[in-house]
Amino acid sequence: MTSGDPWKPFQDIINDQWQEARRFKESAAGVVIGHLAPDVPEEILHASGAFPVSIEGASSAVSMAQAHIPGYTCSHVMGTLDLGLSGKLDIIDALVIPYVCDSTRNLSHLWKRLFPDKPSELLRLPKRLEFEGARDYLITEYRRLYEWACGLTGNLPDTERLAESLKLYEKSRALLRRAFLKHRSSPDVWTVTLLRSLFVSASRSDRSKHLEWMKALPWDCPENTESDLAAVYLKGKVWDPPQLSGIMDELGMCLAEDETAAGHRAVMVEGVTNGDPFEALADRSLATIPYTGYHVEPTGLVNGFLERVKKSQASGVILLNPKFCEAAAFDTPDFVNALKNESIPNLVLETSARSFSVGQLKLRLEAFREMLGMEM
Amino acid sequence: MEPIKSLKQIKKVTTEYFTAAHMARQNNKKVVYCNVFTPVEMLYALDMFPVYPENHAAIVGARKMAAEVSAAAEGMGYSMDLCSYARCDLGSIKAGISPTWGLPKPDLILVSNCQCGTLTKWFEVLGRMYSAPMILIDVPHSDDGAADIEAEKYVRAQLVDLMGRLEEMTGRKLDEAMFKETIRLSGEASDLWTRMLELGMKRPAPITVFDQFIAMFPMVSQRGTQIAVDFYSGLIDELEERSAAGISAVKNEKYRLFWDNLPIWPELGRLSTFLGDRGAALVTSIYTWAWSKLAVSQDDPLTDWTKQYLYTFNLHFKSRVDNYVDLARNYQLDGFLYHSNRSCKWISQDVQEVRAAVTEITGIPGVIIEADQNDTRQYSVETLEKQIDNFLDMLRKG
Repeated sequence: MTSGDPWKPFQDIINDQWQEARRFKESAAGVVIGHLAPDVPEEILHASGAFPVSIEGASSAVSMAQAHIPGYTCSHVMGTLDLGLSGKLDIIDALVIPYVCDSTRNLSHLWKRLFPDKPSELLRLPKRLEFEGARDYLITEYRRLYEWACGLTGNLPDTERLAESLKLYEKSRALLRRAFLKHRSSPDVWTVTLLRSLFVSASRSDRSKHLEWMKALPWDCPENTESDLAAVYLKGKVWDPPQLSGIMDELGMCLAEDETAAGHRAVMVEGVTNGDPFEALADRSLATIPYTGYHVEPTGLVNGFLERVKKSQASGVILLNPKFCEAAAFDTPDFVNALKNESIPNLVLETSARSFSVGQLKLRLEAFREMLGMEM
Repeated sequence: MEPIKSLKQIKKVTTEYFTAAHMARQNNKKVVYCNVFTPVEMLYALDMFPVYPENHAAIVGARKMAAEVSAAAEGMGYSMDLCSYARCDLGSIKAGISPTWGLPKPDLILVSNCQCGTLTKWFEVLGRMYSAPMILIDVPHSDDGAADIEAEKYVRAQLVDLMGRLEEMTGRKLDEAMFKETIRLSGEASDLWTRMLELGMKRPAPITVFDQFIAMFPMVSQRGTQIAVDFYSGLIDELEERSAAGISAVKNEKYRLFWDNLPIWPELGRLSTFLGDRGAALVTSIYTWAWSKLAVSQDDPLTDWTKQYLYTFNLHFKSRVDNYVDLARNYQLDGFLYHSNRSCKWISQDVQEVRAAVTEITGIPGVIIEADQNDTRQYSVETLEKQIDNFLDMLRKG
């Protein structure tokens, strides 16, 4: 562990996304499995002996993908395809695509055709979360994923090993939850950008090392209960563009909650580590705030969101909608209306790596920050 | 060309259907919003009335009302990038503009996602708007189309659950005799529809895809009824007579083309004339073929629906390409027109690779035209015509 800046290991990974995957490959000649973040259980890939690494296509500049997929596709899918086509995913040996929407489904088709030498698996996540059969189906899907990953690494599926991976990831999630609370109590030290670096790097690192690095963070820094930062509730798919966290820090904002797919949402449920690990993973997944592409009772979807916002005591809400993401765009007007009815300020940011301007984003956030009525 | 007389009945059939839909509640029938790939035969057997918001949206598009009502949906906060069927439906409700006097309010919303995920989210909006309960039949996508026994159990369990919930909602038991009769009528209509599509294999073709799009209405919204069976029986008789008399759909048929994806509803007439004038006949389409596979057995319909939803309508890449290759052979195609439809990402996001794969196998060229099924603001018809003209030029030059 470094004796200097305890945040440096995380920042290094932000700056060089593949640093840890490369090390793993060089030292162990192992299998690196990439995945598109929403709700892929990394511990299954880890237990197979592979190195799981999250791919965020959203912030990638797109140059080659449009020859293969129409321009009216979200940045996350198009960016992932572009990363593959431009050789930036050469380090991965295989890819897991979670079936969370029509675009991820189609990405799976395209990936198989364009990258026949890089195996991929479409993880068929059930969408009808309130139907009791969804749990059973999810469990069988997790088992199938484990067998597939073990087929790549050459290891035999071993429930004990999966249970060990689950314990490691639960420890990591517990510490990430604690980090989020620390951000809430000391937002001027544990800034949005630093907090983000923990979450992003976790899915790009060996979790044991990540856990050790996290232990060295300034957990004992004093609480700042009189912070004049504006606490906002963030909802969306991914943190796109990545500059968003820096702008929030600059404008005096912190997070009351982060409901992005791979943000605090992904770790906020404490899972069990005894019993059948597949069942434990399914129960944890089903208890997690549903991703926008899933189906729950429609009115409950909006009311549940509103309740969470109120409970968070956020000053306002930012909805991060990737352009061309149909699931999010159908939900947004009713979310906005519900917030308006409660006089909760909100801002819808439609983001896309292809038509993105940092200056414009900052301008909109400045106006929103002013609306929140606190001093900058 | 001499128009197909049977198609004139569509207006009457449509009017009667929407009249019955609006009268349903007075006739003690519960109104169920649904999509085509749901077991509507169950609804009839419980004396419920199926209503199809997609169908309504298509009529809005065909009547060239999409731009006006879409704008109303956009005013509600719905992005212009969303499916224009959804925007037309929601905007029509908001603006109170509809060629069918709107749709009756639903007592239940039923949707399957084997068609796309968009429908689920659109129908969720309707569920909130009308405070109506909603049931999703969740159909996993098996990627390469391989059998997924666990998914079969999952989907079938939902159909069993659906039947129980419908019985609970109506307070009556499913009428077995009526259920079987409705299934029989659905199967008959689907078989007739298939025969009608196969007539397009004749050279010259007695019917084009444009006519099939118009003829779709009873298949979509009235399968399971005698009305659909009678309509398609009459249509086939007429087409066979026309064929025997040497009447073709397109004068001097030179090019036999395939249409991919949904129609561009506002341009049906214009594109039909444009292609016809150039001797180009659209003889087949993936979209019209979708309705040909709706028959299920009377003995175990739940298992048949399960397999249809999982493997037939779930549009896997390889089976889609194989299907196009078969159609190219059966219909003696000269070219493929691929509609890259901004409103239907589900079908369109693969299209560049589908085209490449089909041409690799068949050697038959294809052109991709980007447009929208309803929203005239999303394309220029002149540009589409130019692209098609260039493509026909290419075919002419060999």
